[in-house]
Amino acid sequence: MQFSNIINGLEEKDPLWLLESAADAMLIIDSMGRIVQANGAAETLFGYARAELFALSVESLIPPRFRATHALQRQEYAAHPGSRVMGTGLELYSLRKDGSEFAADISLSSLEDGYVLATVHDITRRKHAEEALAEQGTRLAAIVETAVDAIITINERGTIDSFNPAAERLFGYAPDDVLGKNISLLMPSPYREEHDGYLEHYLTTGEKRIIGLGREVVAQRKDGSTFPIELAVSEMHVGKRRLFTGLVHDITLRKQVEERQAQLIRELESANEELKNFAYVVSHDLKAPLRAIGSLADWISTDQAEKLDADGKEHLRLLTQRVRRMDSLIDGILEYSRVGRVREAVVAVDVNEIIKEALAMLAPSPHIRVEVAPDLPIIRAERTRILQLFQNLLSNAIKYLDKPAGLIRVGCVGHNQDWEFTVSDNGPGIEVRHFKRIFQLFQTLAPKDRIESTGVGLSLVKKIVEMYGGRVWVESQPGVGSTFFFTLPRSGAS
Amino acid sequence: MKSTCKAILLVEDDEVDAMTVRRALKELHVNNPLVVVENGEEALGYLRQPDQVMPCIILLDLNMPVMGGIEFLEVVKHDAVLKRIPVVVLTTSDEQQDKVASFDLGVAGYIRKPVDYQQFVEAVRSIDAYWTLSELPQ
Repeated sequence: MQFSNIINGLEEKDPLWLLESAADAMLIIDSMGRIVQANGAAETLFGYARAELFALSVESLIPPRFRATHALQRQEYAAHPGSRVMGTGLELYSLRKDGSEFAADISLSSLEDGYVLATVHDITRRKHAEEALAEQGTRLAAIVETAVDAIITINERGTIDSFNPAAERLFGYAPDDVLGKNISLLMPSPYREEHDGYLEHYLTTGEKRIIGLGREVVAQRKDGSTFPIELAVSEMHVGKRRLFTGLVHDITLRKQVEERQAQLIRELESANEELKNFAYVVSHDLKAPLRAIGSLADWISTDQAEKLDADGKEHLRLLTQRVRRMDSLIDGILEYSRVGRVREAVVAVDVNEIIKEALAMLAPSPHIRVEVAPDLPIIRAERTRILQLFQNLLSNAIKYLDKPAGLIRVGCVGHNQDWEFTVSDNGPGIEVRHFKRIFQLFQTLAPKDRIESTGVGLSLVKKIVEMYGGRVWVESQPGVGSTFFFTLPRSGAS
Repeated sequence: MKSTCKAILLVEDDEVDAMTVRRALKELHVNNPLVVVENGEEALGYLRQPDQVMPCIILLDLNMPVMGGIEFLEVVKHDAVLKRIPVVVLTTSDEQQDKVASFDLGVAGYIRKPVDYQQFVEAVRSIDAYWTLSELPQ
C-alpha cells in the first residue's frame, strides 16, 4: 500500500491510530502548506477543531511576524527535504486560535509527495523554568554587584574566582588585577604566608578556624595599607568543585569608635581616680593646719586669759567654733567621697535594727515621738550605707523640729521592683523652690549659727540611694512638715 | 607610763602637733623625756644608735615626708629588737586601709588626733593610763 494512499484515505476517514496516540501535537502539511491531517493533541494545543484546521494553511499557526520567513523556509525545505528539528537554537513560537502564543519545539519529518509531518511540543513550562532560573541568576548577580560589603570567591587552591565592585572599592584592585591570583594577596604578613597552609590544613583535616564562624582580621589594600575587617567565610560545592565565599565588612569606623570609647573610659577612670585621691589628700592635708589653729586658739585663751578682754575672749570662742565647723565639713567631704569608693560587703540588712541603732545614736529629746512602722523589710546592701541613710534623714527631722510635740514617722511600701521608704516629720517644712537645692553638696537653708549643719547629709543620702539604683525626693508643706521618700531596688545593689 | 625614766619617742613632722603632745604630757604630769623626730627614717636612726636605750612607747604619725608611718612600721615590726616596743598610731586619717595596715603590722593602738585640744589631752591621758598599767618585757 502506497503511503500517499493512506494519506488520501485519512483526509476523509479516521486518523491513523499512530498519530492519534501521540502525546505531542502532530500535523501533516502538504507542499502548498495546507494542513491535511491533525491529531487530537493538535486540536487541544491550538484550540481549533480538526475541521477548522483543515481549512488553514500552516502559517495560520504561526504569529504574523514570523509568517513571511516561514513560507520561504518551507519552500526551501520542500526543495531539500529531510528529518530535522526546526530552528535549532532559535526560539520558535506558535499561535493558538484565541491569538495567544506559546514557545514550541518543532521537528519535521518529510513524507512522500512533498508531505511533511510536523511534531509540535509545547515548551512553555520549560521556558518559564529557564526564565526563572535566568532571573534568579540576574538577581543574585545584582545583589553581589551592588552589595556594600566585599564578596570574594576562591577555589580550593585559594585562587580568586570572583571579586565584586565593593571588593574593588575596598581593596583598590580592579578585578583583572586579582582574578586568578591567590587570595593571600589581600592579607598582610604574617597571614599572607600562613594562608595556603591554613587552607590546606582545612582541606585535609576539615578543622575550621574561620569558615562558618566569622571573625575580625586584618586586610591589606593594593597600596599596602591595612584595615580591620570582619570576615565571614562559607563553603559551597558546585558540581565537584569546592568554592569558598568570603564576605568582607570594613570595620575601620567601628574600631575607631570602640577605640575612642575605650580612651574616654580610661580618661574618665583616671579623672575619677584623681578626684577620689583629691578628696582624700585635701581633706587630710587641710585637717593638720586646722587642728593647729584650734590648739593655738585654745592655748591663747588659756595662757593669756588674764590679758584678754571680753571681746578678745569672744573672738577666740568664735575662732574655735569655726575651726570645729570646718572640721565637720572636711569629715563630711571624706564621708561623701567614701560612698562608692570604699566598698563594704553586701549583706542582709534588717531595716528594723538599723532604725533602732540610728535612733540610739541620735537620742531624740523626749518631746519628739518617733513612730516606726512594724515589719520593715530586710534588704541586701552595705550595712554602713543604709545606716547612714536613715541616720541622716532622722537627724535632719530631729534637728529642725520646731513644734512642742514633735512627731516623726518611718514607713515603707513594697512595690514590684523596689521598696519605697518614707521619713516624715511635723517640722518647719521646705518651700518647693528649695526641693532640688537641698540635695546638693554643702547647701543648707538655715543660718549655720542657728543650726550647725555641713550641708552634706542629704547629698550623701542622694549619693547612696542613687548608687543602689534608687530615687530620692521630698514632699513638703511649709509650717506643716516634710516627707522624704527614697526607693531601693528589691534585688539589692545594682 | 610604767617606767618614768624611759623616753617617749614621738615621730611627727607637724610642729604644732608635736607641741600639742608635749603640752598635753606636761599638763598630765607625765615626766618621761620626750624625743621628737620628724619622720620614719629619723626614728630608725635614733633607735639604731649604738647603746641606745629603747623608748617605752612610740607615738607615730602616718603622713610624713621621706618615710611615712606605715613604711616605718614595716621596718620596725620585722626587726627582732625593735618589734617589741609598743607603737600607738596618732593620726588624722580615718581611712579603713590605714587602720588595717597599721594593725596588720602589730600596732598597740590607733588614735585619731582630735581637732579640739581638750579632747587631745584626754586621748593622751588614756594612753598614759594604759601604759602605766600594762607590763612590758624588759
